[in-house]
Amino acid sequence: MTPSQFEKHIGPRWQKLERLLDEAEKPHPTAAVEELPATFRQVCHDLSIAQHRMSPQRLTQQLNALAIRGYRLLERRSAGGWETFVRLFLVEFPQAVRAEWKLFWWCTALFYLPAVLIAVITPAHPEWAMALLGPGGMAQIESMYGEASKPSDYVRDSFGSGFSAFCFYIMNNVSIDFRTFAGGILGGVGALGVLLYNSIHLGAVFGYVHYSGNPLTLYTWVVAHGAPELTGIVISAMAGMRVGWSVLRPGRLERRAALVLAGRKALPLLIGAAVLTSLAAVLEGFWSPMDYPPTIKFTVGALCWLAVAMFLMFSGRRQTDAA
Amino acid sequence: MAAARADTLQSVELADGVEIQLRVAGPAVRSMAYMIDLLIRIGIDFAVGMAVFMLLPPLIGAEMAGGLMMLFAFFMEWFYNVFFEAGAKGATPGQRSMKLRVMSVTGGPVSLAQAVMRNFMRVADFMPGLYLTGIVCMLFTKRFQRLGDLVAHTVVTYAEVPPVLTPQVEIRAERRAPAQVLTREEQAALLQFIERAPLWADERRIELAALAQPLTGVVGVEGLRRLCGMALWLQDPEEKSGTPPPLKGARLFHT
Repeated sequence: MTPSQFEKHIGPRWQKLERLLDEAEKPHPTAAVEELPATFRQVCHDLSIAQHRMSPQRLTQQLNALAIRGYRLLERRSAGGWETFVRLFLVEFPQAVRAEWKLFWWCTALFYLPAVLIAVITPAHPEWAMALLGPGGMAQIESMYGEASKPSDYVRDSFGSGFSAFCFYIMNNVSIDFRTFAGGILGGVGALGVLLYNSIHLGAVFGYVHYSGNPLTLYTWVVAHGAPELTGIVISAMAGMRVGWSVLRPGRLERRAALVLAGRKALPLLIGAAVLTSLAAVLEGFWSPMDYPPTIKFTVGALCWLAVAMFLMFSGRRQTDAA
Repeated sequence: MAAARADTLQSVELADGVEIQLRVAGPAVRSMAYMIDLLIRIGIDFAVGMAVFMLLPPLIGAEMAGGLMMLFAFFMEWFYNVFFEAGAKGATPGQRSMKLRVMSVTGGPVSLAQAVMRNFMRVADFMPGLYLTGIVCMLFTKRFQRLGDLVAHTVVTYAEVPPVLTPQVEIRAERRAPAQVLTREEQAALLQFIERAPLWADERRIELAALAQPLTGVVGVEGLRRLCGMALWLQDPEEKSGTPPPLKGARLFHT
């Protein structure tokens, strides 16, 4: 078969595929598109033959473009909507945390230990915390949690201010989660840096409030929303570390493949962390500024920590990986 | 194909076993697309900000309006690219204006997870400023992938294949079988030569044909004539058209 005969022979096929693709790209394709997969495979076969026989570039390029278009259409799938998202958070996210439990405890330790260390030494050696906070930070803490402050100081008067605070926390804290994760790809350095920075800053705030403020104001304020928020930042760092670790220690895989695989494993962690942080923003915007006695605040706070722990430990246990 | 090394074509094997060629896009055109997207985003943020702060405060209060604006800015910052790239076109408006498209390295469309991954990694690609990490990374990977592309397993390609110019030129050379068996690469080179020769000046044709002197045995116009004859033979070994043999001294390429 000469090239021109070949071209004539396959011509009708790829014109048919073109027609079917046009049809299938419409919102409501007719039943004719049932022939699409078979026609697509035929044209792929023709493309292979054309490549092998070194047909004119004009022909191979057209077939190539058609094959790409057809493949995109056949591989198209819908993202799955809300059900997939809910399942991702309720099932896959806690499963992913449990699957990487060592990494979770490492990140937790790296976050809480420096914070506790700084907070504990501050009453005896306040110069560390003062250096970390700077004059501006100290003045801000004095005004918010100073000795004269009471837990009722932070009560917001309107729904609007609570909503605006909620939006600010979403914008600020979820962005921090995302940035922490992205920083992880640089060998984990970025994620670790953000984690440690936030850790020692948090420790300095707590230590400084104990040193020269009213700790009750601080604790009644943070105890509830702290549970999802701090867990969120730890898990987003964990997602970043997961990606960074695959660059440092790809194991038996090629580095590039290890990176892609780590990205897939890190995604449920990242989304879960973002959802936890968003829940924290709801609490911080609407619950934390409520004027309730400290006992209620602490009881609800303890319940929040318990809920986060139970969720991470038990949610999605009975679900298998399938589906 | 020997000629493929001079361009940005990348071969990918589809699940159906056929090899397709993707034309990956380089840093320059992608930067242009990014700049256009940036302008669009600034425009949208500005327009929505104006609308929210002018219209909403009387209805829901200034604090609520401010909060909504913060939420909107947050989603624009992180999900503008994700929304468009995971959509049916696989490209943001800026990328579409540059005729680019984001694809999975496997040749398929980008999934939502991949779009999230490649765009959230922009933070790392941006460091230390102006996407320096991303651009350096693109220059060191053969598919021009930045860090986000590497993690998400995606690639940015040209959406359309430019039409190949095929001038209607009659080549008046006598069909002749090559004196020796040619390898597939050599055959490909010859076929591409005959396809593209009509686009060049005579001097260039003769110059390139001179490279094939071991095959043709002569240089100059006669070498070119013999090379064209061999290429014609490769295209169609059987003489059927019954055209008379070309006159001696007639022009080789006749439009």
